[in-house]
Amino acid sequence: MLRPVLTLISAFALSLQLTAQDVPVVWRGARVLTGVSTIDDAVLVASGGRIETIGGPATAVPAGSRIVEARGMVITPGLIDAAWNGGGALGLADQNEQSTEITPSLRVLDSLDPQDKAIARLRNQGVTTVHVMPGTRSVIGGLSAVLQTWGKDQDAMVLSSEAALRMTLGAEPSMGNRAIRGGTVDSVYYRRPTTRMGVIWSARRAFYDAKEALDESQSEARVARTAHERRDLEVLTRVLKGTLPMVTTARSEQDLRTALRLGAEFGYKPIVDEAQDAHAVATELLQAGVWVMVGAPSSTSVGGSGGQDGAEPRHATLLRLAAAGVPFVITTGTNPNALELVREAMFAHRFGLTHEQALAAVTAQPAKLLGLGDRKGTLKVGMDADFVLWSADPFDPASTPTSVVIGGVDTTSLQ
Amino acid sequence: MNTHSIMVKANARAALLIAAIAVSPAAAQGLVAVKNGRVHTKDAVIEDAVVLIDNGRITKIGKQGEFEVPWEAKTVDATGKIVLPTFVLAHSQGGVRMANERMENVAFLTIADALDPASPFFEDCLRSGVGTVHAIPGNATLLGGAGIVVRPFGRTVPDMAVSTQTGLKLSLLPQGGGRLLQIRKLRRALDDAREYLADFDRRKAEFEKEQKAAAIDKDKKWTEEFDKTKKPVIDLVQKKTRGWLYVPGSAEVPEAMRLQQELDLVLVLGPQVHRAIEALKGVKNPVVLEETIEFFETDPETKKETKIRLAKLLADAGIPFALSLGAAAPSSYAWWQLASCVRQGVDKKIALSALTEVPAKLLSLDDQIGTLEVGKLANLQVLTGDPMQATSWVETVVLEGQVVYERSKDERLKYLLDAAAKPADASTSGSK
Repeated sequence: MLRPVLTLISAFALSLQLTAQDVPVVWRGARVLTGVSTIDDAVLVASGGRIETIGGPATAVPAGSRIVEARGMVITPGLIDAAWNGGGALGLADQNEQSTEITPSLRVLDSLDPQDKAIARLRNQGVTTVHVMPGTRSVIGGLSAVLQTWGKDQDAMVLSSEAALRMTLGAEPSMGNRAIRGGTVDSVYYRRPTTRMGVIWSARRAFYDAKEALDESQSEARVARTAHERRDLEVLTRVLKGTLPMVTTARSEQDLRTALRLGAEFGYKPIVDEAQDAHAVATELLQAGVWVMVGAPSSTSVGGSGGQDGAEPRHATLLRLAAAGVPFVITTGTNPNALELVREAMFAHRFGLTHEQALAAVTAQPAKLLGLGDRKGTLKVGMDADFVLWSADPFDPASTPTSVVIGGVDTTSLQ
Repeated sequence: MNTHSIMVKANARAALLIAAIAVSPAAAQGLVAVKNGRVHTKDAVIEDAVVLIDNGRITKIGKQGEFEVPWEAKTVDATGKIVLPTFVLAHSQGGVRMANERMENVAFLTIADALDPASPFFEDCLRSGVGTVHAIPGNATLLGGAGIVVRPFGRTVPDMAVSTQTGLKLSLLPQGGGRLLQIRKLRRALDDAREYLADFDRRKAEFEKEQKAAAIDKDKKWTEEFDKTKKPVIDLVQKKTRGWLYVPGSAEVPEAMRLQQELDLVLVLGPQVHRAIEALKGVKNPVVLEETIEFFETDPETKKETKIRLAKLLADAGIPFALSLGAAAPSSYAWWQLASCVRQGVDKKIALSALTEVPAKLLSLDDQIGTLEVGKLANLQVLTGDPMQATSWVETVVLEGQVVYERSKDERLKYLLDAAAKPADASTSGSK
């Protein structure tokens, strides 16, 4: 009895949604910061989940479209957080697999609940796409995912289930570990590195194996391995072949240098993450040609469970990267003191980035970094209709998102 | 002591501060003119205005050219900038390492003894345009001791002191027991003081009676004084001292409202009081908000999240409030706290008054600070722009006519912000 009714209801809901998406929707009168230019009194038409037209007040409005008056509002591309720590959707215990320090084939997606309130909260802050990684307590923690903060179903939210591999440097992956000094091994913590050096040695050891596996694939010789070992090595060889990005979380200056050194040693280009001390190595980062994800630039503390761990955050970090020409994005990262992403960008603007630079660092730049530059991050014809209506300029501390549109659907009205 | 400085009322408990009168800080003498700014006075905004300061006080405010500026006046150029009164923090534990004694009934203590003038907090105050700070013991207490009003400038506490008769800290925050126990302990402490007072008065009356009846030598004087550890609470129950009562949540509001019937109280509200706004409507003094004025509440059954906007709730209820600044970004910035109020829908003027006029009134210093008016102390800040925008910076702070902060000379800020400065790795770049 119940089942047909439910089917009927869901069919009805689906048809509603389809009509909503089929009729072109026009947002009229807002100031639009497209990521390329600023259009005042704009006409923005979304249809079929994409941007159909965008232009000034004279732009023609398609017949039969639904019109949303947005005068006085400011529209920006949907914000993209390239290193979201999962909020409540990923408890600390679910974020950090600690049975062993190298777990390349773990997938963060397997522990993420897309229906979690944390994602809705994030969406209401204007964030439409996130990159979620495993936690920072393992040396090589596993595979990250890219999600939209809304989709018509769970699968539609997932843009990539194996976006990148995360490695963490510094003292954090060794925290709590103990060396074996006689007695019996009664805790997993005996098995893990106990120093910063040990962390890097663990990473190296994994890469030596991966290199060997890569060489083997071109020769007859085969080392006996179990299936799961082969799977782990397959993931690592993708990094060596350059088909899987290696996000390397490095907060302090020495860890940033190590991130570059490991990349040079094994022939891959890391994406440097957190990077609070990037101000001290801007030249090297430029020379290495790497992207930098700066976590919570508003804060003078750093994230992770290792305390400051040698890092010295400065307000000038982003400005120095910009001046050096290093490509960067702003993230909320692992810092528990991180603010909403838009406020992090606001602080970056306060600390010297131009309005355009700060906005791009949470829209166009992370889209490019995540390989979504042709779909997201800017508002152009043919791109995904992901955008945010703000009550005032997004960097005005008094502004607040009034509507968050993802794939042409105003998600604010769905709650 | 300087005629312009606020009367430093010596407090018997704070012997340290009696000395303050003798070595009161040497504020700038003479004339200062803050020129060409957009000046926010109590009732108006004057473009291209001049604020003339003599001997630490504002003597004239008017449009450029309205009056002659003496040639010898030192100029503070505010061209294209905004001039506001400095902000006032009504309730702060900044600049104090441990704001609470572990024993909970320590009304005889004073926070003055715990203030660290070298704390970066005071420097940050100036960077945020704060010119007056009421330091008072923290909330983890029952009767926590006395507060002190200081300016965030000076090398010693006596240097910084503005006023010591600021009142006593009380808290309804449970200390290792339940809510009821805390209330009972506070009531007991107040009753103890009343009983002691009654007993004291009875003994004194008996002494006088016996003296009259010639049972005691006529020349003998009543020499007994109040027990020094009890005197602060006696002052409190006699309404000679103001109490600053921390109210952690809605459940404690009714008790706080009862207590304000018998004591002179300022209520310091924790963020969880939002369910008792209606009950707060009869509050006698303006209230103080802690730094958290916006948060999500999750319904325990439906798990639905609701945003609580505390400043808006109070403003709608017509309850005047003072704002606090937090220890970390963003609430450590005055512009953020002010803009947060506006974001919630609070009128800009009310928001601004929550860091100026209202706290000045709570500290009984509204005749001296809180607005820019002729006759008041020259405590002002020059801002590069709108005080509610992230892109604005405090350019200059003047306290009692003395320039105490200039951004152009702020070396620590430069260290944090300067992108052009030589990278710190210059000497180690060969270490790869």
